[in-house]
Amino acid sequence: MRPASIISLRDVSVAHPRDPGQALLRSVNWDVAAGDCWVVTGLQGSGKTALLETVAGLHGVMAGELRVFGQLLAEGDTATQAALRRRCGFVFEGPGRLFPGLSVLENISLPVRYHENLSPEEAMKSVTDLVTMLDLESVAGHSPGRLSRAWARRVALARALALRPDVLLLDNPLAGLDPNHVRWWRTLLAQFVAGHALFGGVPRTVLIASDELRSLLPLGRRFAVARDGCFLELGDRHAVETSADPLVQDLLNEED
Amino acid sequence: MAPNALDPEAPVRRPRRWWVRWLLPARKAGHWLNGVVEEIQRLTAFTLITLVTAVQKWSLAPRVIHPLIREQIYRAGVGLLPLVCVLGFGLGFVIIGQVLVLLTQGGQSPKLFSLIIGPVIIREVAPLAATLVVLMRVGTAMVTELGMARATGEVEALEALGIDPIHILVVPRVIGLTVSVFALTMYLAVVSLMGGYLMGFVRGSSLSLNDYFGSIVSALTWIDFPLLGLKTLLLGAINSLVICYQGLAEPLRLEQVGDATARTVAMCLVASLVLDVIFLVPNLFLVL
Repeated sequence: MRPASIISLRDVSVAHPRDPGQALLRSVNWDVAAGDCWVVTGLQGSGKTALLETVAGLHGVMAGELRVFGQLLAEGDTATQAALRRRCGFVFEGPGRLFPGLSVLENISLPVRYHENLSPEEAMKSVTDLVTMLDLESVAGHSPGRLSRAWARRVALARALALRPDVLLLDNPLAGLDPNHVRWWRTLLAQFVAGHALFGGVPRTVLIASDELRSLLPLGRRFAVARDGCFLELGDRHAVETSADPLVQDLLNEED
Repeated sequence: MAPNALDPEAPVRRPRRWWVRWLLPARKAGHWLNGVVEEIQRLTAFTLITLVTAVQKWSLAPRVIHPLIREQIYRAGVGLLPLVCVLGFGLGFVIIGQVLVLLTQGGQSPKLFSLIIGPVIIREVAPLAATLVVLMRVGTAMVTELGMARATGEVEALEALGIDPIHILVVPRVIGLTVSVFALTMYLAVVSLMGGYLMGFVRGSSLSLNDYFGSIVSALTWIDFPLLGLKTLLLGAINSLVICYQGLAEPLRLEQVGDATARTVAMCLVASLVLDVIFLVPNLFLVL
């Protein structure tokens, strides 16, 4: 029996982030159970990122019903949205939208500082284990502008993990990384899904939107594809590998 | 009119009546006015949201927000103090000094000087000059940094962390700029009056320092001081709200940041002048 959904979408229409009147995905029905690792794939502009951002409460739904941790995410209910966002860590695409005026360590400690009203020293101390775990000690004092894209994304992951979220949402985490970094990300995400020591061994729910499918096949437990304004659940890894869908085959064979 | 030869199905356009031509400017003016009203409505909504956020979240994360407020006061207030002092001294030296010398040489009494210069400098010139300095040196930079934060998605990054962008980006700037404009106005008024006296002294004016400041103080009434305080606080608040609104309220692309900055300067100038005119009314009543 599958555990209860912590994220549930019923007939949701996902709006374009820059044009709220335009629907990128329609009639999305999606249930995410605690501890799941979902990989949502599709071509660029298919609405994967918008779907993830909608689930994170960054955009309102155009139509339908979105529940996160059982609570209805109604547009305009900012207090509920803010509380729920603290339980969802979001890693943005590319260099991760770090704050350029703050150092790496200040970026990582900002959410803890803000939500727990800590002094800079206390907040930095509280994220030391995170910085060590993600091998960020050598760049902790740097400005984000000095970091390569791969390291900036790692800092963005640390910032998203600072509040110890229940759900981790990652937008194209492996795009443009070298094989070493890809290996590092896959290992770490697999540990999160299995239960990392940072979270007391409790498995985290991970949602990944990605243009690539093959490199995430070993990691994902369940897969979906966004295509032509529709969200289609594919199933587990076996279902993906045996899928006759031309788009899925294209995405699988892309790196061959 | 003959039907379209290329497309017989196309609807036939009727010729415009002669009086329609005269209505076009009125229609354009109507569109412009409509745009202005909509902008004021959005700015008012932004102001209310900022006020509510500032009040509701006053006790939230003070160890993050209070240093940010101090940083803004330092940036817009302390940082601009040398420039404001130089500007104030120059204004006083050139304007007040010359008027003082001309009046004294023309045999006019110091009372006339105090009636003209004191109120003008303290009520009008100092608040506007301080506001303009803050707008040009700090306000424009602020629109750019907020616009960049909006364009590069930093605002969404804050939201994703459960941090209210209005609370962390707007509230410290509004409080910082409001306090700074108030303080700089006071400094500018004092320094410009000092500059004026120095010019008079150099040019051989017979007015003593006591008579000089005495005549200025005598031209002011008690109501001038709360009005001046209120005016400078409102100038600072309105300008900072316009700055934050233009930088943050609308989704911007990087290439739109420059336009937003130029729009901010124009909007702030108009808002400052409108506020100045509003505050002129009680002053006129006081004179009458």
